Amino acid sequence: MTALQDRAGTKATDRTKAKKISPWLVVVAGAIIVVALTYTLPPFRTYQLATVGAYLCVTAGLTVLTGLNGQLSLGHGALMATGAYTLALWQNKFNLLPVGILVAVLVTTAVGAVIGLAAARLRGPYLAGLTLAVAVVVPSITSTFDETFNSDQGLSVMLNPPPESMTNEQWQAWLCWGGALVTVLVLALLTRGRFGRDMKAVRDDETAARLAGISVARTQVAAFVVSAACAGLAGALFAVIAQSVSPGAFPLTLSLFLLMAIVIGGLGRLSGALIGAVLLVALPAVAHEIGEAAGSQRLEGNLALTFFGVVLVVVMLAAPGGLASLRVPFTKSIPFKKKGH
Amino acid sequence: MSTEGLSLHHITVRFGGLLALDDVSLRVPPGRVVGIIGPNGAGKTTLFNVISGFVAPEKGSMTLDGKPFRARPHQLTGHGIARTLQGVGQFDGMTVLDNVQVGPRSEAEAWAALERCGVAEHARNFPKALPYAKRKRVELARALAARPRILMLDEPAGGLDTDEIRWLADLIRETECTVLLVEHHMELVMSVCDEILVLDFGKPIALGTPGEIRSNEKVAEAYLGAAA
Repeated sequence: MTALQDRAGTKATDRTKAKKISPWLVVVAGAIIVVALTYTLPPFRTYQLATVGAYLCVTAGLTVLTGLNGQLSLGHGALMATGAYTLALWQNKFNLLPVGILVAVLVTTAVGAVIGLAAARLRGPYLAGLTLAVAVVVPSITSTFDETFNSDQGLSVMLNPPPESMTNEQWQAWLCWGGALVTVLVLALLTRGRFGRDMKAVRDDETAARLAGISVARTQVAAFVVSAACAGLAGALFAVIAQSVSPGAFPLTLSLFLLMAIVIGGLGRLSGALIGAVLLVALPAVAHEIGEAAGSQRLEGNLALTFFGVVLVVVMLAAPGGLASLRVPFTKSIPFKKKGH
Repeated sequence: MSTEGLSLHHITVRFGGLLALDDVSLRVPPGRVVGIIGPNGAGKTTLFNVISGFVAPEKGSMTLDGKPFRARPHQLTGHGIARTLQGVGQFDGMTVLDNVQVGPRSEAEAWAALERCGVAEHARNFPKALPYAKRKRVELARALAARPRILMLDEPAGGLDTDEIRWLADLIRETECTVLLVEHHMELVMSVCDEILVLDFGKPIALGTPGEIRSNEKVAEAYLGAAA
């Protein structure tokens, strides 16, 4: 077919929108599953479920930043610490949890905006270096201002007891998954529209993105701010689960774990963020059990990182797009119905 | 509608010791197709980069519809100017439709541009799955989706076969936009341009109609060397 024939004879194109699962539907289904699980799982597993929910907040934000916008952050553990300490300070003064969570998100968003402004001027290893510095510096601030943050001991978090109709673990799971599902919904709606396209365009070709009318710096800062807000929420939820915060809970390895988790799960996919969040809870738990069986605490400490490294290598070899890119085999056998023109 | 169009006044650009553009002036009236040609390194793309806001001139100024004009690259479409890049300048992680809809464009504008460029049937594909010529069309569609008054095409015929170049020539002739065309394919330039500016080592050496440029000795010398 020649170009001219091609132009003259353009076929009537099916303009119906590509079918995608509604994020609202996913969130409702997720809420039903979580509620069901909290009534069936034993307390420790329910606690782990709550932890997965808290991790999902940060992995979802990070996968949007790194996977869709191409900004590598090694400092999201520090942003979680910001949210956690803000919540602890708020609760110990006012003991009003919903407002405390909101304040934690706002403070972390503000910190993220400052880092994002600097990050928008940096690329590749320089951006990684900046965020790495944040991951190192933020926990050390607790030692510098020990009257406020109580140094390495950290702060306990004042919380009201959960409603009488539910256990503490159920309440934690509902709270964390409430936050996680809202995060996923907001991110899904954001990334499906113009903001999502702008982020991908900036990731793929900055020059072409500029010429398409996109402010690259504004898009990058916005992506960092959104991602920081998610990390702040995750940090606040962790403070609630642990009922304490300390710098030891947010080491540099946490930031590395977060990054590895989203890569293993599938960069840029919210389903990949969920897989990553599950791995963040499951792999250290397996390492803990192996360490206990071997009777070595040192082994337990290093085993989780080893596990992540091995899983990362294996997944990258088998599925470079991450676990979320894998398709269940039986879906291929479903016949594809062609729409008539 | 203003009759002034885009004007460049005494644009000079220097990269360190290299004089990339030397006192270049050009008027691009509305509705005209103006070609910019010259040997490699003549400063054609640098001139495009000045208009697009990627390069700040050392001297000189620009006006759009009689008003001083200096846009940053992402503000260009807001001024009614769209530009394509050498190569395909595409977003490989997005479908063809998203590629064209990116930025402040509606889905309807994107579809219209895709149909005009004959690639609507590939809207749900990823650009990497398309042959080079189709990818060039997708880039052109993105520029047209912005509904520009001025369309800047940077070597749009590069890598295209004869049929595709004929299609491109038809598109340029039929478009209602003012077109600024940087191109090495002389047959295309001579067939579609109303006026041609010739640059050599950053200096304007000729400006005229295709017929005038074809018979200009300085132009022949720049392209073929002093012996010509």
